[in-house]
Amino acid sequence: MLWYKSWLDTRWQFAIGLALVMLSACATVIAYPRVAKLIPALAPISATGEIGRRIGEAAELARTYRGYVFSQSFRQNLLQIATLFAALLGSGSPLTLGSRGAALFTLSLPVSRQRLLGIRAAAGLLELLALTIAPALALTVLSPGIGQSYSIVDALVHALCMFAAATVFFSLAFLLSTVFSDMWRPWLLACAVAVVLSIVAFAAPELSPYSIFNVMSGESYFWHGRLPWLGLVASAALSAAMLFGAMRNVAHQDF
Amino acid sequence: MADARGSVVPVIDTADLHKRYDGVDALRGLNLQVPAGAICGFLGRNGAGKTTTIKVLLGMTRPTGGRARVFGLDAAAPAASVEIRRRTGFVSDEKDLYDAMTVEEMIHFTAPFFPRWRADLERRYVQAFELPRDRKVKALSRGMRTKLALLLALCRGAELLILDEPTSGLDPAMTEEVLQALVAHVAAEETTVFFSSHQIVEVEQIADHVAIVERGRAVVAGALDDLRESFRRVELVFEGAAPEAAFRSPAVVRAQRKGHVITVLSKAGADPVLAEARAWNPISVDVVPVSLKEIFLETVVTVEN
Repeated sequence: MLWYKSWLDTRWQFAIGLALVMLSACATVIAYPRVAKLIPALAPISATGEIGRRIGEAAELARTYRGYVFSQSFRQNLLQIATLFAALLGSGSPLTLGSRGAALFTLSLPVSRQRLLGIRAAAGLLELLALTIAPALALTVLSPGIGQSYSIVDALVHALCMFAAATVFFSLAFLLSTVFSDMWRPWLLACAVAVVLSIVAFAAPELSPYSIFNVMSGESYFWHGRLPWLGLVASAALSAAMLFGAMRNVAHQDF
Repeated sequence: MADARGSVVPVIDTADLHKRYDGVDALRGLNLQVPAGAICGFLGRNGAGKTTTIKVLLGMTRPTGGRARVFGLDAAAPAASVEIRRRTGFVSDEKDLYDAMTVEEMIHFTAPFFPRWRADLERRYVQAFELPRDRKVKALSRGMRTKLALLLALCRGAELLILDEPTSGLDPAMTEEVLQALVAHVAAEETTVFFSSHQIVEVEQIADHVAIVERGRAVVAGALDDLRESFRRVELVFEGAAPEAAFRSPAVVRAQRKGHVITVLSKAGADPVLAEARAWNPISVDVVPVSLKEIFLETVVTVEN
């Protein structure tokens, strides 16, 4: 029943997130025929600076359907939505969320705090997994509709990279939720961390291979066919450490 | 309930219990024993430490000193605390539950946590309390929420019910209904009840034991009949102005001198007061029993002074 309670607590965040990622995936596929028509007429872009380089690279990637999907979805839209919703799903501790009376009722159940938190974390991570896999599969399923194909293996690999890295933002918000009693401060702080990390990756391109967003988009898989093992392991370790920190936090808390 | 040596173990037993929050002492050496089968009213003013005590007993808050035991288990130990909660029904002072769930879902959510869940009582109370099973909790009135919270506590098959201000915010008719349900349940199920309140009338109505807490300490505790028996107000009337008498007996809770009269509140009958007062030759002595309300007010005022 704690699973059901966790689902009730997060179902709107999940539903809105799912709607957004599915719409994004659909829009990416539907827009491609028009993009494909425009690309041959596009003159080479010679803009300078990091922004110019990125625009040029996106235009080049759009010459193939695989590159277009990677550039539009896994590098941009899905990545941004997944980051926001990973933080949102991680926000709000089951021990403090809702009214004080509801929280005290939860605490009066014969369940350890660790189990309460563990189930909430597991439910949130499953929802996050669904938020990353569902749009990736939608890309594969919808592509034949415009006469293209997108490998299911590529879709799943990118989705799993996105999930693994997004767990860092989920876990950060989860940890912050054991410090703050509302759900918005953890979310805003986790989003702020994501913004700072993306600014750092943008301002210092030489550091971008180490960026969490590179792991999230599956950059090394797209370019070299290699999974970003180091980034994946580091993300998993960091997430586990923050979830463990959250458990330790609530073990000593007074309610 | 008896320990290995056969002596009776109180269901609730605290010794020198302390709790400090951010520099504020919520509990300052609380000593409290509630025997099995008792209906114990836990009286105190707002901020006296009632809710903190309950939270410590249920493992929601860790004590900063002393010990708290429920069923002989250490309430501060996480594993023991889970076991305590498995055997305890609880209603918090705020009766809010999960707004998104219906009454039916709330019941189905709670039942699996309690192996001794009483489905027969569940059916009976849903009917008796006229709870609409398909209505969302957020759509229930405060009275209905209280009844649902009470149902969820009573049906746990609990050995102990801990109720924090169970009738707060209810109108008199609803209060009476809730209290009657509680008394009937306790009579049928032989449950120990520990309920906090600042409504002295309702404590007198259903409790057989009382503990009065003030500033984090139990200032009065015991069986209600014993307290009524032992607390006495003694009025000593003198011919002239009452003497500036200082009572040495520890039984004296409070002594007040006004004109020709000294009024003394004793917690151990009138005899210790009379024994001392004889030396001052009062012209008349009147000994009267004391109500719980007077005991409460007098002891709380004494602590304050």
